[in-house]
Amino acid sequence: MTAVESALQTFEKQLNRPLIAALEACARCGLCAEACHYYAAEPRPEHVPAARGEALRRAYRAEHDWLSRVFPQFTHAEKLSEESLARLSEMAFSQCTLCRRCTFNCPLGVDTPLLMRTVRAMAGAAGAAPELLVMLADAAIEKGRDPSFYREMFVEQMAELEGELRARTGDPAARISVQRPGAKVLYVALSGVHTILPPAIIFTAAREDWTLSLFEASNYGVFLADVPRAKEIAARIVNEAKALGVEEVVLAECGHAYAALRWEAPNWFGETFPFKVVSLIEKLDQYIAEGRLQLDPSVNTELITYHDSCNMARTGGVIEEPRRVLRAVASHFVEMTPNRAEAYCCGGGGGLVALPEYAERRLAAGRPKAEQIRRTGARVVVAACENCRLQIGELNEHYGLDVQISALADLVVKAIHGPAVRHEAEKLFAGVHSVAG
Amino acid sequence: MDLLLITQLLALAALLFAIAAFARRWQAAHQRPLASERAPAKGSPARGVWYAFTLGMAPWAKESTRRHPIAYLRGIAFHVGIFAGLSALLLGPLWAALPPALRVLLAAGCGFGALMGLAGALARRAERDLRALSTPDDYFAVLLVTLYLALAGVALLDAAWLPAMYVAGALLLVYMPLGKIRHCLYFFFSRRFFGLFIGRRDVLHSEVTR
Repeated sequence: MTAVESALQTFEKQLNRPLIAALEACARCGLCAEACHYYAAEPRPEHVPAARGEALRRAYRAEHDWLSRVFPQFTHAEKLSEESLARLSEMAFSQCTLCRRCTFNCPLGVDTPLLMRTVRAMAGAAGAAPELLVMLADAAIEKGRDPSFYREMFVEQMAELEGELRARTGDPAARISVQRPGAKVLYVALSGVHTILPPAIIFTAAREDWTLSLFEASNYGVFLADVPRAKEIAARIVNEAKALGVEEVVLAECGHAYAALRWEAPNWFGETFPFKVVSLIEKLDQYIAEGRLQLDPSVNTELITYHDSCNMARTGGVIEEPRRVLRAVASHFVEMTPNRAEAYCCGGGGGLVALPEYAERRLAAGRPKAEQIRRTGARVVVAACENCRLQIGELNEHYGLDVQISALADLVVKAIHGPAVRHEAEKLFAGVHSVAG
Repeated sequence: MDLLLITQLLALAALLFAIAAFARRWQAAHQRPLASERAPAKGSPARGVWYAFTLGMAPWAKESTRRHPIAYLRGIAFHVGIFAGLSALLLGPLWAALPPALRVLLAAGCGFGALMGLAGALARRAERDLRALSTPDDYFAVLLVTLYLALAGVALLDAAWLPAMYVAGALLLVYMPLGKIRHCLYFFFSRRFFGLFIGRRDVLHSEVTR
């Protein structure tokens, strides 16, 4: 089977009702143009979301539309070829972060990101997806198949980290258990201690019955729009949570991981999970509402702004929770404009931040976000997504913003009452800034 | 048979074709799978759908329409004109029984819609991004609707134009399910899916309550 045939076969498999609607509903009114951060940064016709959609629609019409088969020039229908597939793939992986801002701004609600995800899936089937994303996804799958070697090393690392946790909390009973059966909460971090220690301090302060997952929350199969791969990566956590019998899976501050496991994975598995899936942000909000954390907002004195990760906000619906947490832990907070469901993408979403070949394009597309940040006058930018923090860190350097970038959990740790925690948290917070900024 | 009757029958045949073709499209779309949502909802899907078809269509609801209120309102006026024009076509045989004021109102709606359609075609040609996006189908669709609305508006005031209106109406009805205008069917699918999405995930909630 040729690459084009593989791509078309994948397209036909994906052609469900929402995809038909996205392919057919666009009236090409162009109102979506400025919604796209690529267009806002570089106003060119090819950056209009509808134009990206048209690239796939041309191939769709050539296969499925009677009028287009008879008069292809009348509708610009075009059979998919190797050249057009290569163009489509490049576009879907490098000029769209799947942020959904265009959909929210479309009078017809056209789901252009769905079209781009379809193209990504077609590219994957044709062997035209970025190799790095495929490798990262496959490495995660491999780890899930045989975690025994990795587990021993990880448990040792966590035992060392436990000592640090005890020193920082002043609590000799503080623990970082890995895959402890019977725990109420399974926390799934990202790779790196910076997403383990602050939540561990918070869980300890909130007296949570928690354990740590062996796996990372990130799911590169999602960026490839490759459901079998994404499902296999998610299965590691789903099976782990079921085996441990936890009530809740709490995900690190990671936008795509949240959108994937909270909203998409149950559909991939065809079941409603026997545990809740929440973001660490929602958990923090819950602890604060329940009075389980004693917080002092006066310790975070710098002007802070919040970046809505597209996956957390527009896709995930986690919009007011981080704001409630920020109000509880910081004394000076300013909103970016626009914000919440209207926030601009930082430019690092959709796996872009992991692809060095598109770095220049990604930084250019991040200009609207950089300008938003600059206009706030804030000194600290909080983002509840690792990819966003990485991208904003690069925007910080590229556009000379002179801001510090922080996860929400780091600010919470800093604001937790208790001299031991506060003193150590300040050191930790400074460390995070030097890494991210 | 006189010319009026022939053109009326032509329009009727076109109407039946349009209904059958749209029904076929609706059926074909429904034969495609629709995955059931397994993730527990955070908000109300029904409320999301309601919002998507009501307040979510308001000019102030989206940044894009706040930025381009004239273009959006022109589009809305054009579509109101289309509804007036199609209502006039369906009510055609009963025109004599309609109150004169209603006929004038329908004529005004059609006429204004035609002007907005013409403005839309010109904008599509004049604006760089729209021009790059457009296919011949886009121009044909808007000009055909504009022609029909103009003829309907005139015919409502002068019955001598009725045969011309019916011919243009017949052409429009045949073209509707085949060309770009078929988006009128998929609009309902697309908006509904959008509403379900924002309602289920409670994105709407923050938008409405902040």
